[in-house]
Amino acid sequence: MNYIQLEKLGEGTYATVYKGRSRATNEIVALKEIHLDPEEGTPSTAIREISLMKELNHPNILHLHDVIHTENKLVLVFEYCEQDLKRYMDTHGVRGALDPATVRSFMYQLLRGTAYCHDNRVLHRDLKPQNLLINRKGELKIGDFGLARAYGVPVNTYSNEVVTLWYRAPDVLMGSRNYDAAIDIWSCGCIMAEMITGMPLFRGRDNPDQLLAIMKIIGTPEDRVIKKMAQETPDIQFKTYPRFPKVPWPNILPGASAQACDLIDRLLQFDPTSRPNALDALFHPYFTDPTAHHPNSTNVPQPVPVGVMPAPVFHMLPNGQSVYMPQPSNAPGTRAAAPQPYQYAAMNDPNMARHPAYSEQGHPPPFAGQPIHPPQYAQVPAYAYGQHVHPQAHMPAQAAPQQQQQQQQPQQPAVYPVPGYPQYPGR
Amino acid sequence: MSLPHPLLYPLASAAQIAQTLSRADALPAWLEEDLRAEGCRLIQSAGILLGAPQVVMATAQVLFQRFWYVTSMREFSVSQIAMGALYLASKLEEHIARMRDIINIFDLLLSRLRYSLAHPDSPLDSFKYTPMSYFSNEYYTYKDELIIAEMQLLKRLAFNVQVQLPYNTMVNYLNVLGLGRVEGLAQKAWGFLNDALQTPVYAVYPFPTIACASIHLAAREIGVCLPEPPEREPWWALFDADLEDMEQVCGWVLRLYRKQDEEEREVVHNLILGGRREVRKWLDERARQADV
Repeated sequence: MNYIQLEKLGEGTYATVYKGRSRATNEIVALKEIHLDPEEGTPSTAIREISLMKELNHPNILHLHDVIHTENKLVLVFEYCEQDLKRYMDTHGVRGALDPATVRSFMYQLLRGTAYCHDNRVLHRDLKPQNLLINRKGELKIGDFGLARAYGVPVNTYSNEVVTLWYRAPDVLMGSRNYDAAIDIWSCGCIMAEMITGMPLFRGRDNPDQLLAIMKIIGTPEDRVIKKMAQETPDIQFKTYPRFPKVPWPNILPGASAQACDLIDRLLQFDPTSRPNALDALFHPYFTDPTAHHPNSTNVPQPVPVGVMPAPVFHMLPNGQSVYMPQPSNAPGTRAAAPQPYQYAAMNDPNMARHPAYSEQGHPPPFAGQPIHPPQYAQVPAYAYGQHVHPQAHMPAQAAPQQQQQQQQPQQPAVYPVPGYPQYPGR
Repeated sequence: MSLPHPLLYPLASAAQIAQTLSRADALPAWLEEDLRAEGCRLIQSAGILLGAPQVVMATAQVLFQRFWYVTSMREFSVSQIAMGALYLASKLEEHIARMRDIINIFDLLLSRLRYSLAHPDSPLDSFKYTPMSYFSNEYYTYKDELIIAEMQLLKRLAFNVQVQLPYNTMVNYLNVLGLGRVEGLAQKAWGFLNDALQTPVYAVYPFPTIACASIHLAAREIGVCLPEPPEREPWWALFDADLEDMEQVCGWVLRLYRKQDEEEREVVHNLILGGRREVRKWLDERARQADV
């Protein structure tokens, strides 16, 4: 063999990875050794990985140098990276959380690699921190294309069992089989939140639980949205879900800039068609706005005070049916004592305070259909995807809304704590 | 029209098309084409018995056709590669079949073919199939063949196993031309695309050309006019196709419908059953006759 096998780096279900050195160039490589099962032949993951990765050539995609095919094993020769993102966060982060500049750099590289894949009609379908590799220079490389596939005009139906549960998009959780590039975008959003907080954002036990975990944070979508999704993808069944309000991103991602919150909000849209494509996301102000990351920047939104308002257990639908409403994690008698990566809070929108889901008097009045407003980050300039504006174009528009926000801030203590709602002890 | 990444859509090179390796080994062109077509029919019927979706069979047939541009039929048996291609396609299209199912089905199809050759006068209904036993040597021979076939397909195609099928493209083209609702047209063109799988065209021409050719042929059959104004560009120019290529594709497809010679068919069936040993014997026999 043209490579000298060095120490073992890891072992997976169907492959063992060794460090190796090329005899010809002395270059350090990673050797992924795949055992050919006599009952199954070549594993389908290996077939996918090789047939797609050998065509992809991009600085943010792990490069496949060579394939060595012998009678009873298959060795893939990859470029060598020191560690994966998961381990990088554990060793470099503060309890797993990375600093904003690193998050921004990794996020840019991740989206760039994803955009390249999608441009070449390849879906990765398994983006997660364990599959993103970081080398000594701080370059991020997307690896492990074992679940990837090429996609064309969407007519074929694909397998529903894709993407590790915590990074799986809600449309796939609901049974969609003709998903497209938007499922990778969802995973990118989950990874970004994880890099900021150090903890996976949505941690469900199984399919339905994962869907609930998602709704508890990004809010239950309006029926209209679910109906639209069900129309577009016949595999999705229209169901009534418990209504959760949307939690403002600053509460979940303490210390994140407004631009970061806005980007995550766009990446983590329930409806796949509302998510931006990877290329457009690269032109988001989070990446293009030079003022977004100044250390003394005032545009870090303050989290909303937590533990102010309780939620009722039951919630009435317009048809008179009552729906079980799980309690927020900070309510008394719940798992409040357990450490939570983020805290659940009601919205800072005054409308939400009057929302029936938050009324105290036993059963709430029938649902009157108050709209659940999306959070508005006043300082993010109006921005349309697909229009690639020069970063400088944002700057004059930036100044005015910032002043407005500073003026509004003193009013906040007047809203919270809302008079009439009890404060829970210990908070 | 956005084409997929050109590298993800490999086609045979001009040199490979000009002389395939089988023809270099003195296999006549008609026989090679008939063997390819028969192998594809084998894949199709096996896939139906397996209950696999059509996309698996279509992918398998394209891989099978590509393989014979890099290998001679002297080296590998047609039925072995057909089996390997079906197994590989079932993995690629996320509909993994059990190895034992594929082997049993191929054994059934080949035994039936053997029976019909041995008893040309008795109807096929009189054929009785006895499945092989669970641990029979026969099974292990088949299994080794299947694993070797899959490995050789991957190795010789250098993992170029991505297949883009033209079905949805063809329907889109019909809609663009405003012919989506012409009765029977889409159905007919779809049928030609299916039949074209038995010919090497999928390994030779880009899929928009094949889609255009099927529309061209179907429109002629049904008697629908297509826009071909003499002063402007004809309709296929819109889809980056070329009339000469389209007619070539049509020629390949129409060749399938000719009346086959009885003797030729017997030769083809014998070579399918006998595999590469029979092909070698047949070629040697022919060379000896030529010497005399």
